[in-house]
Amino acid sequence: MTELILQAIYSGLLQGGSYALIALGLAVVFGTMKVINLAHGELVLLAAYVAYAVESAFEVSPIVAIPVALLVVCVSAVLVYFLVDRIQKDRELNSLILTYGIGVMLTNAVLLIWKADIRSTKSAWLQDAVVIGPFYSMRSELGFFVLSLVLMGLLWWWLSKSWYGRAVRAVASNRDAAKLMGINPRTTEIVSFVVAGILAAFAGVALYSYGVIQPPLGHALTVKAFIITVLAGVGSIPGVLAGALLLGVVEALTVTLLSSALQEIAGMGLFLLVLFLMPNGLFGTVARRG
Amino acid sequence: MNARSVAILLALVGMYIAVPLLLGPNLYVMSLLVASIAIGGVALAWALLGNLGGMVSFGHAAFFGVGSYVSALLSMKLGVPVFAAMFLGGVGAAVASIAMLPTLRLKGPYFALAILAYAQIFRILATEWKSVTGGSGGLSSIPRLPEIAGFDFGSKVGNYLVIVTIVLIFALIYERIRASHYGIALRAMHDSEDATRIVGVNSTFLKAMMLFVSAFMTGVVGAFNAHYINFLEPDYGFSGLWSTIPIVAAIFGGYRTILGPVIGAVFVYLIDQLVFKSYIPSGHQIMLGALLAGMVLFSPTGLLPWIVEKFKRSRHAAA
Amino acid sequence: MLQLDNVTVRFGGVIAVNGLSLSIATDEVTGLVGPNGAGKTTLFNAISGLARPSAGRIVFNSVDVLKAPVYRRARLGLGRTFQVPQPLSRLTVHENLLVAQRFATGSIDESRLREILAFVGLTEKAGRDATTELALSELKALEVGKALATNPKLLLLDEVLAGLETVGKRRFMQMLKDMHAKFGVGILIIEHDIETISNLCKRVAVLNFGELIADGTPEDVFRNPAVIKSYTGADHA
Repeated sequence: MTELILQAIYSGLLQGGSYALIALGLAVVFGTMKVINLAHGELVLLAAYVAYAVESAFEVSPIVAIPVALLVVCVSAVLVYFLVDRIQKDRELNSLILTYGIGVMLTNAVLLIWKADIRSTKSAWLQDAVVIGPFYSMRSELGFFVLSLVLMGLLWWWLSKSWYGRAVRAVASNRDAAKLMGINPRTTEIVSFVVAGILAAFAGVALYSYGVIQPPLGHALTVKAFIITVLAGVGSIPGVLAGALLLGVVEALTVTLLSSALQEIAGMGLFLLVLFLMPNGLFGTVARRG
Repeated sequence: MNARSVAILLALVGMYIAVPLLLGPNLYVMSLLVASIAIGGVALAWALLGNLGGMVSFGHAAFFGVGSYVSALLSMKLGVPVFAAMFLGGVGAAVASIAMLPTLRLKGPYFALAILAYAQIFRILATEWKSVTGGSGGLSSIPRLPEIAGFDFGSKVGNYLVIVTIVLIFALIYERIRASHYGIALRAMHDSEDATRIVGVNSTFLKAMMLFVSAFMTGVVGAFNAHYINFLEPDYGFSGLWSTIPIVAAIFGGYRTILGPVIGAVFVYLIDQLVFKSYIPSGHQIMLGALLAGMVLFSPTGLLPWIVEKFKRSRHAAA
Repeated sequence: MLQLDNVTVRFGGVIAVNGLSLSIATDEVTGLVGPNGAGKTTLFNAISGLARPSAGRIVFNSVDVLKAPVYRRARLGLGRTFQVPQPLSRLTVHENLLVAQRFATGSIDESRLREILAFVGLTEKAGRDATTELALSELKALEVGKALATNPKLLLLDEVLAGLETVGKRRFMQMLKDMHAKFGVGILIIEHDIETISNLCKRVAVLNFGELIADGTPEDVFRNPAVIKSYTGADHA
């Protein structure tokens, strides 16, 4: 039993890497634009299906699809940005409705193009077992987990060291002051959508490489990303990573100890618990009180 | 009698006498009408929460599903009369909304996302709680609406009259709330919450009341629907469609008006069923998404108010 | 009587109000002065419940209100105006007062609302939209009227005179003086103008860097070297 639990924790941690990428994308856009992109999970879904399409069309590894996924998802993300940017009145609420509508469109577009069937990779190489001590994982699980850590490191470096990253942070904390400093908020907003797109593209290919995908997944991923940002409280990268790993582990433990159908409820339970007991999130404070 | 009363009287005569007499024999048209007015009821409830409570919900499917299951189960397993069960279905949905109370402290986007998550959870619960709900297999032969004093409410015309009456009562309740002191305070709360709290308004309580009322209404409509189609399964009862179509309908008809969402629902549902669905059998929701996105971009306060405005202006120009 | 006992309010790492103890009577007009950023408005927020102190006690008429929600403090008789007027949006002037009275006192007394409207000089504007159809002086009057409609025992006025021109200021001053007598309400007023404060108040409390640095009659307080230094220091900074 202990072995099973340890294995579940290990798998959950690996899964958390992709969750973190998705949640960070949501958080970066929310930071600069104060807009929650309800179509964010669908962007991840799109990347996953691009990987599937490339794999089945050219009979290559889904890894090869990463550049294509990056292109498709980033272009889509920028399109979402331009639509959101057109909203003048009641931006906070109208942007929710707009991105919800875009999400519904994307899910159904995926459904129309690739049908409702469950898909998973055919690459044996990706699914080969990697055993580290007592822990087992697929090669793709471990590989993408490491890759997600690298991406988060790069994102951290970019946000704290590069000029553009600092501009993004400046806009996130005080839009008007940033303008006075000569930063164009529009450019940083587009950049934040592109960053979210890049993270979503990697996460999507990762999900396809070690798991199963189907059209309703996008919606569920948006919800997960949101739960993670609530767990994290503040949009710091380590906070989001910790929240994502926690969600991954709790889900994996639920599947192992109870039932796979209850996986979604586990995350929700965690979410409610934090909401009731620690309204500021696990790792800090954020102004989201009404 | 002024023009307003005449218009109301004509509308009532039209709805209660003309429609059943003229369209009653056409079962297909009647079934489309019943379904679209039911969605109109949900759209009205959604708009009440949005307009008075200032909250955008993407999870009304949760209330719809809970209402339908509670009512179906009460009537099937405990033999509760159907109309009473429908009412209790609404109560059940309102009780379910208690689970959402902690989210009321969250601001706009957080509330919207939290309620989205709740809808998913309720669907999973309905699927997993097999001993009560029958799991994914669903419930069949749910009792139809009864025959009372020689009139069969279970017939197409009967169903139609019931749902029209339900939605009219909802519209009256909505109107009463909006005109009350609570309604006035709620109107102010949307853009100046601190200022309303500082003069003694318990804003969280008022929002909670709006959530209860909206959940109750949605639950009753869900319950009606269960007894209307006599069949229920989690993927249907908690379908995202019950969240999406009412939003599209409410935005289409103007979510700051009371009857706009209902009229919007009839339009949107008919377009969806007759046009979208016939061209794109699975995935027809893509058109709803596009409609929603398009409206938010071009006329966020609603398409009908926009058309009315244009119409008025052109008449002014002519005069 | 409003009693503040060792009240501390922090924003992240910044201490806006630091261990402040102060008693405010509900039968007189008290001035609260201090340079910009001294923590005056934050103190108002703490008293009315919009900011949560990290330490201390706030007791109003022997009720501990430290953890009481904003609306309950209003119902207990703590009225408040905002420096930047915050009319209740999408409501008329009359509805602004109506909501305040209905929710703070639990009942409606139209004759009293008319009295308040007349007192603040908004009788003719009763049907106007509060957010879009009022001039600044009228918005300021509405702030006061709205607060009066809650039937307060102590009214916190946050720079109600700022931004008014001379004539308007003089009228407003008279109104504030009458208000104390007519409505029997205690007043705690934040104001920058020393002359105004001296004219209105028998007692003045001075804040600087979130701490009380002087408390007494206007004559004594404005002669206090520490007070003068805090003002001139801030002015030259």
